[in-house]
Amino acid sequence: MAEIEENIIKFEKVKFSYPGSENIYALNGVDLTVRKGEFLSVIGHNGSGKSTLARLINGLLEADGGKIEVLGMNVAEGKNSLEIRKHVGIVFQNPDNQMVASIVEDDVAFGPENIGIEREEIGRRIEWALKAVGMEKYRTSTPSRLSGGQKQRIAIAGVLAVKPEILVLDESTAMLDPKGRREVIEVVKRLNQEEGMTVILITHFMEEALLADRTVVMNRGEIVLSGTPEEIFENGDKLEAYNLCLPRITGIINTLNENGMNVKNVLRAEELAVSIAENFKSKGIDRAASPKAEDPAIKSDHEFDIDIKNLSFTYSRKSAFATKALKDIDLHIDEGEFFGIIGHTGSGKSTLIQHLNALIKLPQAEKRYRKKRVKKGQPQPVSPSITIGSYDLTQKKCDFKSLRADVGMVFQYPEYQLFAESVFSDVEFGLKNFKKDLSKEQIEEAVRSSIEMVGLDYNEVKDKSPFDLSGGQKRRVAIAGVIVTRPKILILDEPAAGLDPLGKKEICALLHKLHEEWCRTVIIVSHDMDEIAENCTRAVVVSDGRAVACDTPSNLFSGGASMRALGLDVPLTSVICEELSRFDININCNCTVKDFTDKVLEVYGGKNA
Amino acid sequence: MLNDVTFGQYYPVKSFVHKSDPRIKLLALIAYIVALFLAKNFYSLAICFVVVSIAIIFSRVPLGSVLRSIKAIIVLLIFTAILNLFFHGGEHLLASWGIIKIYREAIIFTVFFVFRLFFLVMGSALLTLTTTPVELTDGIESLLTPLKWIRFPVHELALIMSIALRFIPTLIDETNRIISAQKARGADFESGNIFKRIKAIVPVLIPLLISAFRRAEELGDAMDARCYSGSKNRTKYKKLKLSWRDLIITLLFASLITGVVLLNIYADRIFPEIYEFIRLS
Repeated sequence: MAEIEENIIKFEKVKFSYPGSENIYALNGVDLTVRKGEFLSVIGHNGSGKSTLARLINGLLEADGGKIEVLGMNVAEGKNSLEIRKHVGIVFQNPDNQMVASIVEDDVAFGPENIGIEREEIGRRIEWALKAVGMEKYRTSTPSRLSGGQKQRIAIAGVLAVKPEILVLDESTAMLDPKGRREVIEVVKRLNQEEGMTVILITHFMEEALLADRTVVMNRGEIVLSGTPEEIFENGDKLEAYNLCLPRITGIINTLNENGMNVKNVLRAEELAVSIAENFKSKGIDRAASPKAEDPAIKSDHEFDIDIKNLSFTYSRKSAFATKALKDIDLHIDEGEFFGIIGHTGSGKSTLIQHLNALIKLPQAEKRYRKKRVKKGQPQPVSPSITIGSYDLTQKKCDFKSLRADVGMVFQYPEYQLFAESVFSDVEFGLKNFKKDLSKEQIEEAVRSSIEMVGLDYNEVKDKSPFDLSGGQKRRVAIAGVIVTRPKILILDEPAAGLDPLGKKEICALLHKLHEEWCRTVIIVSHDMDEIAENCTRAVVVSDGRAVACDTPSNLFSGGASMRALGLDVPLTSVICEELSRFDININCNCTVKDFTDKVLEVYGGKNA
Repeated sequence: MLNDVTFGQYYPVKSFVHKSDPRIKLLALIAYIVALFLAKNFYSLAICFVVVSIAIIFSRVPLGSVLRSIKAIIVLLIFTAILNLFFHGGEHLLASWGIIKIYREAIIFTVFFVFRLFFLVMGSALLTLTTTPVELTDGIESLLTPLKWIRFPVHELALIMSIALRFIPTLIDETNRIISAQKARGADFESGNIFKRIKAIVPVLIPLLISAFRRAEELGDAMDARCYSGSKNRTKYKKLKLSWRDLIITLLFASLITGVVLLNIYADRIFPEIYEFIRLS
């Protein structure tokens, strides 16, 4: 790859500002060259100019100053724009919003049709492009029936069918679950290695950035760091200044090295385990075990426990499309827990949580429900039951309204549900619905405290339109709109999805604060295992509608084989523990990074002292 | 709430009618409707019925699914039938209450009218049951192609229809999600008078509109990035092809129209007594 030194993209002092905010430069003097066949990753916080960069390359946006050359063509010249778009394919964030047709092959054909390719050749290109993304079996399927990862691969195929030389992925993995993300990244890697395609991968996930030949870090419209991923992530403190996080593994290495160990700066769990083992060996430790991690004790009055028994649920039961979403779920969540629900998209997680505040009612609680007569000799069918505190969800008389006030629910991407003209009236919406007899002062007080709780300045935002806020702020407002009723249980579906690393960290901190001060029980749905391991006291794994396992993270992830068999990830710490156990070093940690490093250092320093 | 909306009513089986060209099916439907309105007596109506029955049999769609489509117009049907029955004039008075007078001709006309509408709906339902919305769009685009000569934006129209079809399931999902989210915040869509209910929709409608605009913008970017620049120099991958099936359908419906016209003229020569009895006006 190194022989080809041809520069395929050249940015020279490029400046760009969005109309309406002319004095704020989204890009401020960017110099960048990309070589042919290179795999470049671009990282940066939200609003750092990454996406602007992508759009400038193929002329979706026009630079205010400087010069951009793609394949020797000047992007600023209008006559080149179509020619450049033929050579630069962009895949965007939301797979749903990139498709024009209801049948996969028609959608893939869209690009080639636009540039006037002949019919037979389009057919061949569809075949080739679908094969390149491993979707050839779905040629005549409907996109809306596919998973996120599959849809995004179709979107890539649609771009490939134009036969571009450069593939740009603008946060194309941000909305996918880990499985979908892996699928997409594998496709991209293969295209780079086998087809020699130049790839620019814009991402929030540090782990993805590591896969590239070269990484560029952006901050406030400028390129601040550039180099191989190893070089970039050595500059730990600098990255934090740019509102980015280190990959978890680098964080672990830094902590270990700060405390007297000498671990190599590697980027893969296996290598880290080897390095830790070598450290131990040089100290004469060739066999070690840390004591078993203690499960965190939960203080609980058990007044607001959740108890689910025999919960099954079928969508559109009577039609031909009936799908069983839940099968015999038994689950008990104590008051006071920080509980996790793990599973793939479509595993039944969302259906499960919607039962908890009766958005989906149990069949017995439906108005039209009549008890079925059981024929003699047949066993009485088991009916599902859910109790939450004193609420019995099997009863028609159950006060569902006050249940919903006590069990708050934050949906995925909650910012898309904001609707009111001001932040204040959006937050008060729920409160007014649930509690009709509050005085103006009481409402104002409740709204103020919940806006402050989510970390926003009440006086600054209350009269603003929620749509003028930044993405992270919108999500906070949406959460404030749920916690304003002071629910005892707070359920969040993928609370950190789509945020940049810093935003994720902040949301996690917010949830812990809420858990300590306001809501007794917090339940999060997530497919980020590290997030679950770091935060939860216990978690349940839902797979194919069944609760497969329910335990503390340390028990759940020890011996990751069973999780991997379900196609789920394992947190980094338990991967390292697994690798270490091959060297007869058994670290029994509770899967949080802190506990892991503590235990390793304990073993390392323990023998010495 | 919107779970029951299964988009379109396509009935997925493989059959003669399913496999035939959507353009021919569209034209056949038009021919069939013309025939229905040309029909001046029960004999002509009867051969319309024969033809639509043949089509239903060869479509392998259960009769129930075809008849279900009547539900949509049943109120309209009954309403107009009653009006016709009571206020259609005639010669042979059968009964009268005050201003309401029922004539024999009115009864015959009402029966004729009800059957005609009934057959009409059956025919159109059969088209949507055997043709996917995508095929229909392709068919319409192809049929409208001649209008390109008068600069009518046929391609753009077809693209708009195709995108609309593509986004209907997505937007239904989104609507469901927003409804759930607002319900979780205590919104009540099921009680109160009509004004309250309309007001309750606002928290669903606004996010939905905003999201639709956002999607439109992103889609526009994605289409630009995929080299879309209008219909100039554009090729088309999908081509509709005629087959022997379409020839048969064409012949069937051509003979339908001929049959209807002939029966309109010569009906009084077939069973004159019966014809006299069920003659319309």
